[in-house]
Amino acid sequence: MAMSIPKSGYNRFMKEGAQHFKGTDEAVQRNIEACVELASQIRSAYGPNGMNKMVINHIEKLFVTNDAATILKELDIQHPAARIIIMASEMQEKQVGDNTNTVVILAAALLEHAAQLINLGMTPQEIAAGYEMAAEKALEVLPTLVVSEAKDLKNIEEVRHYLRSAITSKQYDNEEVIADLVAKACVQTVPSNSFNFNVDNIRICKILGSGVHNSTVMNGMVFKRGAEGELKTVSDARIAVYTCPFDLTQTETKGTVLIENADELVSFSKGEESEVEAQVKAIADNGVKVVVAAGKFGDLYLHFLNKYKIMAVRLTSKFDLRRLCRTIGAQAQARICAPPVNLLGHCDLVAVKEIGDENVVIFDKKSEKGNVATVIIRGSSQSRIDDVERAVDDAVNTYKALTKDAKLLPGAGAVEIELSRQIESWGEKAPGLEQYAIKKFAHALETLPKAIAENAGMNATEVLTKLYAAHVGGQKNVGIDIWKQELMDAIENNIYDLYAGKRSAIKLATEAAATILKVDQIIMAKQATGGPKPRGPKPQDEDDEGMA
Amino acid sequence: MMRPPIILLKEGTENKQGKQQIISNINACQVVADSIRTTLGPRGLDKLIVDSKGQTTISNDGATILKLLDIVFPAASVMVDIAKSQDAEVGDGTTSVVVLASEMLKRVKPFIEDGVHPQLLIRSFSKACEEALSYLKELEIKISGEKELREMLVKCAATTLSSKLVSQERDFFANMVVDAVNTLDESLPLSMIGIKKVNGGNLNESRLVKGVAFQKAFSYAGFEMQPKHYTGVKVALLNIELELKAEKDNAEMRLNTVQDFQAVVDAEWNILYEKLQKIADSGANVVLSKLPIGDVATQWFADRDMFCAGRIHQDDLDRLLAACGGSILTTVSQIDDNVLGKCGKFYEQQVGSERYNFFEDCSKAQACTLLLRGGAEQFIAETERSLHDAIMIVRRAKKNDSIVAGGGAIEMELSKMLREKAKSIAGKEQFFWLAYARSFEIIPQQLCHNAGLDGTDILNKLRHRHAQGEKWSGIDIHREAVGDNLAACVWEPSIVKRNAITAATEALCLVLSIDQTVKNVRTPSGGQMPGLPGQ
Repeated sequence: MAMSIPKSGYNRFMKEGAQHFKGTDEAVQRNIEACVELASQIRSAYGPNGMNKMVINHIEKLFVTNDAATILKELDIQHPAARIIIMASEMQEKQVGDNTNTVVILAAALLEHAAQLINLGMTPQEIAAGYEMAAEKALEVLPTLVVSEAKDLKNIEEVRHYLRSAITSKQYDNEEVIADLVAKACVQTVPSNSFNFNVDNIRICKILGSGVHNSTVMNGMVFKRGAEGELKTVSDARIAVYTCPFDLTQTETKGTVLIENADELVSFSKGEESEVEAQVKAIADNGVKVVVAAGKFGDLYLHFLNKYKIMAVRLTSKFDLRRLCRTIGAQAQARICAPPVNLLGHCDLVAVKEIGDENVVIFDKKSEKGNVATVIIRGSSQSRIDDVERAVDDAVNTYKALTKDAKLLPGAGAVEIELSRQIESWGEKAPGLEQYAIKKFAHALETLPKAIAENAGMNATEVLTKLYAAHVGGQKNVGIDIWKQELMDAIENNIYDLYAGKRSAIKLATEAAATILKVDQIIMAKQATGGPKPRGPKPQDEDDEGMA
Repeated sequence: MMRPPIILLKEGTENKQGKQQIISNINACQVVADSIRTTLGPRGLDKLIVDSKGQTTISNDGATILKLLDIVFPAASVMVDIAKSQDAEVGDGTTSVVVLASEMLKRVKPFIEDGVHPQLLIRSFSKACEEALSYLKELEIKISGEKELREMLVKCAATTLSSKLVSQERDFFANMVVDAVNTLDESLPLSMIGIKKVNGGNLNESRLVKGVAFQKAFSYAGFEMQPKHYTGVKVALLNIELELKAEKDNAEMRLNTVQDFQAVVDAEWNILYEKLQKIADSGANVVLSKLPIGDVATQWFADRDMFCAGRIHQDDLDRLLAACGGSILTTVSQIDDNVLGKCGKFYEQQVGSERYNFFEDCSKAQACTLLLRGGAEQFIAETERSLHDAIMIVRRAKKNDSIVAGGGAIEMELSKMLREKAKSIAGKEQFFWLAYARSFEIIPQQLCHNAGLDGTDILNKLRHRHAQGEKWSGIDIHREAVGDNLAACVWEPSIVKRNAITAATEALCLVLSIDQTVKNVRTPSGGQMPGLPGQ
């Protein structure tokens, strides 16, 4: 047995193996270092010229992306302080759905600058207070920088401009194609009161093969499965939807059929048959041409569906079933019956089609407006398709943010520089020690345009000085043109950022930085052995966490 | 002061980044391409792969080989993906797409080493790709007219097959494949072409059955008494078990007297006999079922000179449905003449060591079966894959009736046009365009290399000819010279090339855009129930 060494300080109270760090040197500086390290990992993914990361997660799934939220989620970060930043970016993802990278980079930049101040002898509390003041001011200034407001959210051309900037940073070479698709899909599904726009109404169907530019958008839904029966195409169809299996119902209570003589035996299956036929016939008599059910189609039922020329489609996800109901305007039935006509859905075309080598069932509403639109993404590799999907997701979220708050800021780094300039000059008037912190806040804002310039292979310092010169000269909307490697007017080039996105990014980043600064002690209990915690079962639907 | 390093990621996580990362990804992709490079073209060689289960596969189909290779390097799996996507979209040209992508990467590598920002390259290449596709559209030749169309399909199929194991018999198989696809309905369902493999015999003995053929099913006593040859056949397609069997699984009998018991036993027999009688009354003389047909039924049918077979595969039954019409019945209570399939001829024949059932001269005739013969099992398996490729090509060509000349001709022409376009571009992108244009030349070069020809010599001749405006000049492998491949009937559907260029460029952009790889430790799977926190 090992000699017990008397422990000192905190360690006395804790189990062997626990760690604890205390004080500015050990805790604060270390936390800052960790966060800066984290940001440097994803900094090169920022902006239109950002590079992709290849992340292989703990179940060996491959991601190729430059979406910060995805990278951070799959990175499996352990450091507690770094996790705070990640949480902030997760909040951003939930609230706005975009600008997640901004949060991380800005928070890390704030911390990096704070480290310098700590070395000068300021206390973290003072710095945090200064940052909070500066952030307040920034949020005050931000509305004055709004350059325009999205007026017509139902005009595809206009919507395209607003979405482009969000997509450009994800899919640099395909932004036009994707902006087109998303704009079309959004405009198609946006209700007359655009405030009620629902992200869930834009579905994505990924099919391997061909190229990204062959992606399309359609009004209706696409499912990656075939039809059950013999009928494969129906046009102008009335549709009945069932949430149950389309099969003979089994009793829940365990029971047996009691047969007492030979006649009963003979008539039993005949009775079953005629019962099924009567049911299917009743459905057919209501003009139903397609039956959609959530479960298995029984052989006998399928037989009669074929006989009455009804197409049978099986969907496994109850979420898909709900969405389909929304698309075609049907009300789902919980048991097999012939629903009245007003509970039936309608669709112009239901057909099995071959896309790539995948058989898909499409429910096509051939009209301009609809409840659900589906973006069919094509691409030559799975990781590529997944990344396009994330870009589409971000763009759809951007549109949603627009419906809530239509204010737009100039993009391409123009806003950050202008904010930085104004805060710096305001900070000089601040009386107390906070002045230093406020000035650092202004400098931290610079990091964002700097990252854009660096990722584009430009000389960042030079670009920044030029930007400042232009902004001091009154050109508030001047940003970086990464393609021509010079400056340009963001408004003229139709590069917009969302006001809501920027606002929440600045808020979240400041809060995260302040939280980390205020931590002066870290206590880590000894990690429980017994292997890493397995993740919970996958949700049945890729995006049902948010809606259930 | 000593400080432990900051642990950001879990222990064991691999993390690589920077320019070196791009270069090493490129190298990995090239290694993948090198492994299948030699299978390209008519003189390409095959690969023999033994997988983890000890199963042997001989193939020169890029997608098949890459799927079997089980690649774990993350970036290299992009190559496997594009081969798969080409396979899914077109069905052939899987090797070319990988070779093309790897050549593009190779041409790009120096730029990365010189410090060009990858995003600039990506931008230029996707522009160049668009340009290449628009040139392809200009160049492709539309084919119209019934007879020309058929000829075109045969030639496209022949071009595909020329690079496969069965290339000696390509004309024979090309015609077979085109005939097979022509029997299908409008949507050209692949599953309606059955491919049956029988060991033994000669490749030449392979044949196309315009109808359905399948191996004799497991049979019961009485089967041999049934006639094996009919003309004017009416087929009943069933999904019913013709056997004495409980009507309801969880039914229970409560009987009091012996007479009752006898009555129930009789009733069970009667139910079966009634079913059989109904089938016989409908006029069917061949009865096929997905489920077993038992002893009693087999003998009963034999007594009435009817043929029956149970446990037929679903695919075969589906094909019969497409060929003969009618419908698959789950109950016989309403059986009549309308739901029976009709075909001209039914017979049983010995093929190799197997007995096969044939249905020919079918009324709807929208299905067919290819009966492949050949020596070794692997040989037939490869023949099947080759024919699958050819069938896919014919299907695509039928939907998209424009063609280009193969044998490196189209690649050389695209390369030339891109080079000319590059000259009109100012700035450093010109170099990128030139590199992109140059990478197309790998296809003819590799073709030469695999055929043992002097690649440099032929490439020069090709460039010369294309510069003089002979846009369809390509390699004639058999004469070992350069010739007009349009006239020589080396044709390929343009969609093959279009997809190959798109996929290769997308792969290129993807590989270039990655500057960091993070590999997490794999969580040990199994052992713990999901959802329960670790102990």
